[in-house]
Amino acid sequence: MANIIELRNLTYSYPGAQAPTLKDISVDIEQGDFLAIVGNNGCGKSTFCKTLNGLIPHFITGEFSGSVRACGLNTLESDIGTLAQKVGYVYQDFENQIVRPTVLDDASYACLNYALPNYLDRGRKALEQCGLQGKEQDFIWQLSGGQTHLLALAGAVSLEPEVLILDEPIAQLDPMHADKIYGVLRELNEKHGKTIIVIEHHTEYIADYCKHVMLLKDGQVQWTLPTRQALCRVEELQSCNIFPPQVTMAAHRLQRSGALSPTAPLPTTVEEGKAVFAAKPEPVPFPFVPAPCMGGPAVEFSHVEVSYRTVKGAPHQVYRDLNLTIHKGDKIALIGSNGAGKSTLMKLMVGLLKPSQGDIRLNGRSIRSVKAEALSRQVSMVYQNPEDMFIKDSIGKDIAYAMEVRGLADTQQRTQALLKRFHLEALKDRDGRLLSGGQMRRASLAIGIALNPEILLLDEPTANLDIATRKEIMRTLDDVKATTETVVIATHDMQLVCEWAQRIIVLCQGQVVADGPRDQVFGNHKVVQQVGIRPPEIFSMGQALAPHALCYTIDEFLEHFTGRSDTCACGGKAV
Amino acid sequence: MRVAEKLSDNLLDKLSMDFLRNQVLKNAYGNNDTVIAGMDPRMLLVWYLFFGLVPWFVNDIPFLIGCFVLVAVTTKLARVAGLVLFLFVLGVFSQTGYLLLVTLLFGGDASAIQPLLVLTLKVATVSLASVTIFSGLDPDRLANGLMWYGCPERLSFSISYAYRMLPLLMEEFQNVLLSYRLRGNPPAHDTLVGKVRYLIYEIKIIIHAFYPLMLNTAKRSRTTVEVLELKGYRYAAVNKDVKKMKLASLKVGNDDLLFLSLSFLWVAITILVSTLL
Repeated sequence: MANIIELRNLTYSYPGAQAPTLKDISVDIEQGDFLAIVGNNGCGKSTFCKTLNGLIPHFITGEFSGSVRACGLNTLESDIGTLAQKVGYVYQDFENQIVRPTVLDDASYACLNYALPNYLDRGRKALEQCGLQGKEQDFIWQLSGGQTHLLALAGAVSLEPEVLILDEPIAQLDPMHADKIYGVLRELNEKHGKTIIVIEHHTEYIADYCKHVMLLKDGQVQWTLPTRQALCRVEELQSCNIFPPQVTMAAHRLQRSGALSPTAPLPTTVEEGKAVFAAKPEPVPFPFVPAPCMGGPAVEFSHVEVSYRTVKGAPHQVYRDLNLTIHKGDKIALIGSNGAGKSTLMKLMVGLLKPSQGDIRLNGRSIRSVKAEALSRQVSMVYQNPEDMFIKDSIGKDIAYAMEVRGLADTQQRTQALLKRFHLEALKDRDGRLLSGGQMRRASLAIGIALNPEILLLDEPTANLDIATRKEIMRTLDDVKATTETVVIATHDMQLVCEWAQRIIVLCQGQVVADGPRDQVFGNHKVVQQVGIRPPEIFSMGQALAPHALCYTIDEFLEHFTGRSDTCACGGKAV
Repeated sequence: MRVAEKLSDNLLDKLSMDFLRNQVLKNAYGNNDTVIAGMDPRMLLVWYLFFGLVPWFVNDIPFLIGCFVLVAVTTKLARVAGLVLFLFVLGVFSQTGYLLLVTLLFGGDASAIQPLLVLTLKVATVSLASVTIFSGLDPDRLANGLMWYGCPERLSFSISYAYRMLPLLMEEFQNVLLSYRLRGNPPAHDTLVGKVRYLIYEIKIIIHAFYPLMLNTAKRSRTTVEVLELKGYRYAAVNKDVKKMKLASLKVGNDDLLFLSLSFLWVAITILVSTLL
């Protein structure tokens, strides 16, 4: 097939940068491809994509040499307007790319600006393609996170570009919306022949949807390979901090231990895994995990009712008759789709929201008439958006702030200790906003536990992080788990849930639909279906092989499963 | 005493950022199904030109009362948000009430009431006419109307974009303030001195909150700027066709003519009444 994008000897450095971000890249992308770009943090993925639609070098200047041809146009010779109609771009930061107040308005805005007479029809068509029909007249603040993301996509689709580039399209979405986005992309790719390029960390999604994978390393393209081949290069990917699908990693480990033929193709999806794995001949019983013994009640919700004001019409009711007890020493993961009321529950606990009905008791005392300020020694909350936690001009001062204003004697030492514990000593004079994603999270956690609260609430601590940084935050969370008595995490990250939480609370439309240890929640097919939970892939793999299997990590999986005898090196069909 | 306490609590609750944000949104977009919102913005601007200017130059009380009644009705029709009305009442009556007080204090007598009443009527009429237009119409229609009269595209974009950004800004501000609330240590406010200290503390916090607010907003708008470029905002500003397409949605209907003629009729009647008197 013809190439839709051709790069020749592209080298680019940002203004004032010491070294080039992209180094001598020559690569072609075929028309109709569904390409995933993977690579370490800061390897130049976003920069690479911005050269394709002319933002570099027309809008963001810098040293540019070599040539980029997109849809037959040389990006140096065309202006951004012409290129933007051929190459669509969807940013990771989806909220800030919506510029108009209503849905249809935003979807058709670009078409209007380029003076396309049928701009409204195009907007409507794009909304339909993205599954937002019926929402045309809605205001953008009525949309959920997932829908806003779809709208951002529709805004790009409406111009009917040949190529569509998406920067981390699912980083902030629950699995249901993530599948939806990729479903839309697949349709655009297969039915409408669009070339799709995604920057993606989630290799399970790459395995399910993408045709090719391109690995970028230090500003250079290492290779472009068909997805299967690419994902089987387990060691190379891991050295770039990319984690292949868990199924692939499990098979790779079996291969290395000799339980699987070294030449057998590695599976990349659960479906392929069925042909590779089998239960061990002598089944190992699944250990019975006793429910952790519970302390006294820390927070009790009784008959709580909460609703929000809305711009129009009746208030939106989040909770009706909510009853829930959080015990001392609980390590809870709060899960549920976007908009299920996770953040609301946390705001209730810190006293930022007051229930319209019912009562909340903290250590047996009602907090109905207690101000949020008075609760902050006992309950602390870390927001999803770490920027909002930074109120001083350096993170050192930010960590010290709460202790300082309370006149605690050991503020200095404690700040030092916290900086050390979260590996922030070298950064203590920097403004929090200018740190990298992982550093910002660590800083916000340090701020959150500065007052040594009994209860710590964390809203999506791993959202928007690449896998390597996520692992780092997971380690930090384990550390927090050991020192803070009661911790509640609201999250979509099922690996975090499985590896960290002792108790899982599932929220769905303002109701607690499941509550218990992980076996009880993930083993309950009805709940998993109803709420749209996507368990870790290795768990699904185990379930596909044996319905009673409950394994959450690769280690657990390998205790119970091995290579099938017909693919096993030591079996009958040795190669 | 209990009632007063409850009232002050209630007022504080009403003045939360969340409430303000909600009112701003409600004001801008929450009433797009009213009679006023359905009107052609160009006609309304003409209407506004009359009721925003003429009352300043006329001192005839029946005429002013007539105009006031009319704009009061249109304000009701536009279903203006409560906060705006509250600010309006506060603004108008604190101004003239203060003037009355000063007049009486420095030896004036009841004869000062009449000229003050005229002033109050003028200010009230003009303000309500503005409120009808600027909060009855949604910002986009207002912007289109202005553009038809030849205002530059950038102005009309700024109006609708400001309304798009305002809720975001307020949300950001709310979050930063929450950080101060959750981590700060406000002075106790049981006594009067404590209450004054608390007020000073709150004002200080609000000022401090501007620094992170500005930085966070600047960080957010990096994407927006690039997106506007990609979405062809710069091209649209110089393209005549785009302007035509935007204005194509404006149509003068029967309702508009009816509204204008009713207003005209009403003004004529008040003038008639005033000459008869």
